[in-house]
Amino acid sequence: MADLLTATPATAVPSPPRRTRRRWRNTLIGWSFILPNFLGFAVLTLIPVIAALVLSFMDWDSYNAPEWVGLKNFQRLLDDESTKIALRNTAYYALGHVPLTVLAALGLALLLNRKIAGVGFFRAAAFFPYITSMVAVAIVWNMLFNPEVGPVNQFLHFIGIDDAPGWTTSTTWAMPAVILTSVWRDMGYYMILFLAGLQAIPTEHYEAAKMDGANNWQRFRNVTLPGLRPVTFLVLILLTVQSFKVFDLIVVMTDGGPGRATLVLSQQIYRQGIVEGEFGYASAISLVLFALVLVLTLTQFWFNNRRERS
Amino acid sequence: MNRRKLLAFGAAVAAAAPLAACGSDDDGAESGPVELTISVWNMDSTPEFKALFDAFQKANTDITIKPVDILADDYPTKVTTMLAGGDSTDVITMKNVIDYARYAGRGQLKDVTSLAKSENGAKLNGLDAFKQEGDKYYALPYRQDFWVLYYNKKLFDAAGKPYPTNLTWDQYADLAKALTGGAGQNKVYGTYHHTWRSVVQAISAAQTGGNLLGPDYKFFGDQYKNALGIQEAGATLDYGTAKTQKTGYASMFETKKTAMLPMGTWYIAKIMAEKKKGSTDADWAIAPLPQAAGASGVTTFGSPTAFAVNKNAKHAAAAQKFVEFAAGPEGAKAIAAIGVVPALLTDEIRTSYFGLEGMPTDDTSKKAFAPDKIVLEMPVSDKTSKIDTILNEEHGLIMTKEKSVDAGIAEIEKRVKNEAS
Repeated sequence: MADLLTATPATAVPSPPRRTRRRWRNTLIGWSFILPNFLGFAVLTLIPVIAALVLSFMDWDSYNAPEWVGLKNFQRLLDDESTKIALRNTAYYALGHVPLTVLAALGLALLLNRKIAGVGFFRAAAFFPYITSMVAVAIVWNMLFNPEVGPVNQFLHFIGIDDAPGWTTSTTWAMPAVILTSVWRDMGYYMILFLAGLQAIPTEHYEAAKMDGANNWQRFRNVTLPGLRPVTFLVLILLTVQSFKVFDLIVVMTDGGPGRATLVLSQQIYRQGIVEGEFGYASAISLVLFALVLVLTLTQFWFNNRRERS
Repeated sequence: MNRRKLLAFGAAVAAAAPLAACGSDDDGAESGPVELTISVWNMDSTPEFKALFDAFQKANTDITIKPVDILADDYPTKVTTMLAGGDSTDVITMKNVIDYARYAGRGQLKDVTSLAKSENGAKLNGLDAFKQEGDKYYALPYRQDFWVLYYNKKLFDAAGKPYPTNLTWDQYADLAKALTGGAGQNKVYGTYHHTWRSVVQAISAAQTGGNLLGPDYKFFGDQYKNALGIQEAGATLDYGTAKTQKTGYASMFETKKTAMLPMGTWYIAKIMAEKKKGSTDADWAIAPLPQAAGASGVTTFGSPTAFAVNKNAKHAAAAQKFVEFAAGPEGAKAIAAIGVVPALLTDEIRTSYFGLEGMPTDDTSKKAFAPDKIVLEMPVSDKTSKIDTILNEEHGLIMTKEKSVDAGIAEIEKRVKNEAS
């Protein structure tokens, strides 16, 4: 390495090789800049990901030598009721979490994108849940959702709803409770993204639309929404990926319960791998989860591209 | 080039030096001071560890103990990871027998069969739980907890009820209902059933002779009906609330919100310490766990805690010495002195235990402390942890009335058959 960088080029060398040498040197310098990051990525992410890929075809208890079992883990996956339930629950969570968060974040952004007194305070307030510890959020919301003494149900009783849901103690309502909590926590973050998007839309477009006699709704439909498309696309991708790997909120709030009503895939991976010590099977599930997220993201890209062209 | 060679040589020597040191430890004839590492959980709130370590260091002045403190909730995962990574912590504390079976099965622990078969070893309560591959032992229990019924005397006096002695489950349910009273902040429950599945399932398995590993779980029926009856009458905090509020059984009992509390004997040391600190003035005593009508003798369930020697231990000889000490009479005395129930429960230790300050001295309490039969909380097999998950999930559904008792039991039987066979 040292030789390569410091050696003076031999004088007899003609000019074209010298240029390649310089280019080679520049490339090396470039690499050395990204090396620290790439090294961290390789050691902590890339190698484990490849290991998981290989492990999904093996039986491994983390201690004894792994044993090649071919497609056995994937076969087991097809028969495992808990994994199927986890897959269904994850989809349920994503279907609730993604659109609701987008709506809430967009609504907040529109609301806080005007010049009103104290707008900075309200923006900060909306962002606050996002920087709160997930464990604290989960514990406090669990208490708020308490069916007997929780404020949520007390409020529902107050406005005349007698058979208020059992929230996290009910198999039907546990997932909606989790979704509501996660929407509340995440909307502030995506609101910031939408705010940035809104401010990037040139005001001339609105003025032109006004001249043409467009009302509020028409301006929103034809100026704001198209202007926000790049941001909306980004938000959708981020939210989808985030929804499919939800873990901490559910572990603290319901631990997958009651029964298996809120068991999600990442939790099932944790249980099979870390708790049960079946790393091969856990890797197989995580591979499925990876494929799922990949397909969904590619589909979103495809949709976005088609829209852009039209 | 020469310099490089020299450097490489130096590096090789440096790398080999610790290896050589390791090698010399293995022959067992250690001399000079040894630093023994022991994995423990929540060292500050688990006084038995300090009591044991102090006693051991006093008896073996050439050995100092360095605890490896791990958060209790993370303990099993952390130890699994440590052992998988070839960690050389000398003594590994076995928090429960399920994890023990896994470590022993993978060959991560040293064989201590000779200690288990010694004169003192054979007397240990709960030793059977550690039997592996026919007749081998890889850990030695030093404490054995079992379940009793705690009660608040003042709440019984206030309700004009006699203290419990030998209750049947029906009598217990009636008593719980009679002791319930007050409303709002002053509400007092007759009893408190914690959210653990063992409160219903392990009790019914122990007292009916049912097997928690299946395949037949009909024996749960009566105990679930009893527990749900108490819950419906409002005589215990309902399961859903306890779960969502993450209610602590200790605070329920110490703030006198409940008159009775079925719980393990580990709570004795804790409540004695709290009383000494002055954080509670609960006047408490214990009675035997209620029994099925017509049962002979007192049957309860419990689980042992043990020490094992890591296969990769740096100081194997000293580690073995510690395991033997902790399970022996000296270790038993040290932990009994702070209210912890040792696995070696001789009459002498039992007497000294009841001589502790703050320990109830009535005959019922003493009787509760000498149950006729202690059944292992959860049998050990390679299916245990899978079945444990199923039992936990369905327990929640039955207790929140998402499923009827019969439907819940049917589901358990179906799932155990499909998922863990």
